[in-house]
Amino acid sequence: MIRVDLSKCTGCQRCETACSFFHTGRINNHLARIKVLNLYESRLDSPVVCVQCQERYCMKCPEDALSLGKQGQVFVSPTLCTSCGVCEKACPIGALEIFNKIMYVCDLCGGKPQCVEACTEEAITFEPDNIEQISLEDIKKETTKMNPSQKRHFYIKKIGTTARKRRDQAHA
Amino acid sequence: MLKYGYGGRVLRVNLSERTFSVESLDPSWIKPVIGGRAANTKRLYEELDPECDPLGAENIIIFGTGPLTGSLLPASAYYTVTAKSPLTGILGDSAAGGQFAAEMKQTAFDQIIITGKADSLIYLLVTESGVEFFECSELSGKTIVGTTETIRRDRCDYSIEVAAIGPAGENLVHYAAIVSSGNRVNGRTGMGAVMGSKNLKALAVRGARSVELAEPLMFLDECRTIEAAIMNHNEYQKRYQLGTTMLMTDLNGIGILPTKHFQEGVCSYVDKISGQTLASTYKVKNKACFNCNVHCSRYYAVDDNEAEGPEFETLCSFTSRLGNSDLPFALEMNTYLNQMGLDSISTAEVIGWIMECQEKGLLHPDDLDGLEITWGETDKIRDIVEKITYRRGVGDRLADGATKLSQSFSEEAQKLVMQVKGLDIICGDPRGIKAYGLTYAIASRGADHLRAEPYFELTNRREEAKKRFGTEKAAHRLEEDGKAALVTYSEKIALLTDSMTMCKNIGLCMDILNLENASQLLRAGTGIDYSPNYLKKILGEAIHTDYKLNKRFGVKKEDNTLPERFQKEPLKEGPTKGSTVDIQKMVDEYFRLHDWD
Repeated sequence: MIRVDLSKCTGCQRCETACSFFHTGRINNHLARIKVLNLYESRLDSPVVCVQCQERYCMKCPEDALSLGKQGQVFVSPTLCTSCGVCEKACPIGALEIFNKIMYVCDLCGGKPQCVEACTEEAITFEPDNIEQISLEDIKKETTKMNPSQKRHFYIKKIGTTARKRRDQAHA
Repeated sequence: MLKYGYGGRVLRVNLSERTFSVESLDPSWIKPVIGGRAANTKRLYEELDPECDPLGAENIIIFGTGPLTGSLLPASAYYTVTAKSPLTGILGDSAAGGQFAAEMKQTAFDQIIITGKADSLIYLLVTESGVEFFECSELSGKTIVGTTETIRRDRCDYSIEVAAIGPAGENLVHYAAIVSSGNRVNGRTGMGAVMGSKNLKALAVRGARSVELAEPLMFLDECRTIEAAIMNHNEYQKRYQLGTTMLMTDLNGIGILPTKHFQEGVCSYVDKISGQTLASTYKVKNKACFNCNVHCSRYYAVDDNEAEGPEFETLCSFTSRLGNSDLPFALEMNTYLNQMGLDSISTAEVIGWIMECQEKGLLHPDDLDGLEITWGETDKIRDIVEKITYRRGVGDRLADGATKLSQSFSEEAQKLVMQVKGLDIICGDPRGIKAYGLTYAIASRGADHLRAEPYFELTNRREEAKKRFGTEKAAHRLEEDGKAALVTYSEKIALLTDSMTMCKNIGLCMDILNLENASQLLRAGTGIDYSPNYLKKILGEAIHTDYKLNKRFGVKKEDNTLPERFQKEPLKEGPTKGSTVDIQKMVDEYFRLHDWD
């Protein structure tokens, strides 16, 4: 999985830019499967990317278009996917999103994630053997009615508050 | 048809009518100016009535990006805002980094040209489809971050980027700033007041168009070379740790850190206010502009005061320049100025000028509603800044800027305003950096270093100096020979950097960008044939456009000068002791090299 250490993120969006470019040859944050939020109010910066959660909410695809790879990544079948939006709605943190009728989700770049290569801050790291199962159950309850951007915002604020407490303690 | 690099379109917004139109960007129009600052100036030159009231509906305010903005290029994160300046009455513009420019680029509008005046406070949301106008009386008086986050929340999209004004812009403080990405400031020349005069609280952008490159793999290669040059640069670690605040000790070390309003160049308490102290005491994290690998910006936390910054100019402006040794106070001011939308340099200049004039007995408290202030009086500084923001009491006059304020006082007092062409001088005493002195004098927006950023004179690269500028002296900060040649070279690279919308710390100070690699980047990015020679030619022409535009605004050759202090009074102590600037000689040489009359 790709692990995010929000305390190290500077909000530069290099991960997002690299993701978009290496998947599509173009640069557009809508085409990126990792999305950075710069939250000026709470002074938090962080990418949001699939955390390979315990619950795998996205896998209840009515068309069976989603499957799991060996490293836990999500694959979307372009022929089966009808862009119905069920998985986008199901993901509690906005890690899957449809843009121009195509579903975008992290595929780990076949085992060498370009976002991780682009990050100079070690804010995102690739841990292929990490089988830690993060539960998003609590987040899910609170983000059901949100759009993907709002979900990401909620999620970063949630994990960010914890990280900030840790930082403030270390600072004190 | 511009297919690559550029968005290829121009957006025109008329606030009076609340209408907009979309034009395609003519390739033959944009090619000779590239984008960013040069394109904005050209637009102003072609479309603005030079006689117009800068705070009237007829002034034009332009937001511009460049062909490589929001691309893989490191720190291609800048946008320039251009209008006639209410502070100086001449060409006004100011650039900022952060995240705004890359998002604006995705709207596929290379320029957003705003005219007219709304009849009530509004903000604009620009997307690839055009403009939505939103009434926003509830945002009146709000801070930058408050405005930004309210717009994002109301529009249900946290990737929206916002360039807003704070209370200072709404109250038409002549040096009000526009601030985007929470803390990224278009500080100089009062662009925030122009927005305020149009009842435009904010320009929000959110785009869905992609940046497409003509030769993606070739472009990637070029960017990787530049990234490697940045990472391997001998200043990388320092810049990563301290950002521009490294200049506090650097400038103090050569005796040019403005202290007590440029009366001294060495600050005895620099260790209390240095970038190093800031980093070790209050810095909590690095922060970066779009796609940059330097991450030179920083977050700080002092009790409840948490924000991004400060950059060197703000730090120096609110410490040594005003005789203040209290670092947490300077950080408090950084937060306040950024959230209220005030330019730190011009704000500090008006305060510093009053301090010096009162010290010299040139200004009586009765002349200024009883205001009496001297060096380092933090409570009074805090109070004045608030009064300026709201144009309250004496703040109303101070809000017009030091130059205008000084006109109601003696000639002696007027001479003490540290300004050129009405723009307050940045933090760096020109007596110890002569090419910078020349840059302040000739800069088309008034006293400013960024028009050329001739950092080369501080590098001591003598052989390179001889090769590039004909004399080894160009690499020596106290020499005047070769400086006009240095400035005419680096003003081209500065304009190139601004027009490609890259960061000048990287492009110029780290000496990463040159005509050759810029030509490769532009070719691979846009598919347009930009040869180094062609770039050299068009940059020269674009600089001439600045000159012609300012001539229309009434600027004369003799306005290209420095305050008398720098020409006649040598500094008394430190490594720059005894030095003054023969500005006339350098300006004459500069005009001769340009073949200007």
